[in-house]
Amino acid sequence: MVKMNWKRELDRNNHQVVLSGQPVAIHCHHYNINLQKTLEDTLGEAGIQLMYKSTEEAAYHSLKPLLAQYEKLKTVKSKLEMFAILYQNCGLGIIHPQNIENGTGLVISPSSHHVTGWLAKHGRRNTPGCHFTCGWLAGAIEAIFGKPLGTYSVTEIKCKMMRDAECLFKIEEC
Amino acid sequence: MAIDGEKIIHAVMEGSRIRESKGIIPLFGVYLSIFSTRYYNQLSFNFQKQIHPSREVEAERLLIKAAQECGYATFQGVRNSWEWDEIVKPMIESKEDQIMGFAAVAVAFGWGDLVVKQLIPDEKLVIRVNDSYEAKGFLDLHEVTKTGKCFMLRGVTAAFMDLLYGDGYPEGCFTFSAAEPLCRAKGDPYCEFIARKSSY
Repeated sequence: MVKMNWKRELDRNNHQVVLSGQPVAIHCHHYNINLQKTLEDTLGEAGIQLMYKSTEEAAYHSLKPLLAQYEKLKTVKSKLEMFAILYQNCGLGIIHPQNIENGTGLVISPSSHHVTGWLAKHGRRNTPGCHFTCGWLAGAIEAIFGKPLGTYSVTEIKCKMMRDAECLFKIEEC
Repeated sequence: MAIDGEKIIHAVMEGSRIRESKGIIPLFGVYLSIFSTRYYNQLSFNFQKQIHPSREVEAERLLIKAAQECGYATFQGVRNSWEWDEIVKPMIESKEDQIMGFAAVAVAFGWGDLVVKQLIPDEKLVIRVNDSYEAKGFLDLHEVTKTGKCFMLRGVTAAFMDLLYGDGYPEGCFTFSAAEPLCRAKGDPYCEFIARKSSY
């Protein structure tokens, strides 16, 4: 079982909030969803890709040093477990990786910040909307498997923003 | 009684360590998330790059608008929350003290070291930030530029005034607008935001 000292990991450096030593910001669903809607409405598919890539890169660069810090974690399962705890502790939601082998596989998310926020602000949508989670999963899997950014692609197959029962993500090698 | 920022920071840090079974952080009347400043900076600055060069000003306007709407809704939620009632309200003696409370919450959220330099009721708000994550993030990746880059804080400064002096929620958003005459991304020693009544 992964043990994470959350009180130590989430701390302050004067006015900065730091997570495992790296600067983070606390934002609410109003801002996160407003940003998503602005990008989608203005740039369309390019806006979705921008959100995906920005999340992938930020997650990758945040999670890689964290793995180095928790070097006792040797197995993929334990690393995935820690990342799922981190995702939850950051208020991003719940993720359940399913048989992730060599980086590919499925992830189920029964709840998330972006789903809750989107539904609260805009209600149901007709296309999958968890671009943030897709990018986050790609960056996380690349960090765990020691692969460079862009190695994996994550597609959302089912989405609670479309009123599916849960969000379902498919991770594949590019 | 002056607003005790440390008390607010403590409440946010403790509250953001509480998570419920769905992995959501409900605090101060909103759902909070904790994520790398790098993400927010990449989104903003690359959005500006990706939009056609002739629309760069429009990109800025959209980012500021998104932040102002967010600030307006967020701090409306904040000031109607039980946490505000418990922690901040007892320190508030005048209507204007709310702005000090908002700024302290923004500091607690890790947006920068906001200091209210001037507040003329219903007219003008000046906020100074020595270390905005937006300006710092810009300078980490780019050369000094010609225009301010703290779109989020610019929108939020105006939103603070909207909430105090605009029409009742939700009609008062965009009553004020803010400029950023000084920004570290431009080589200035600090960032400064000035909100005044919108001209439209």
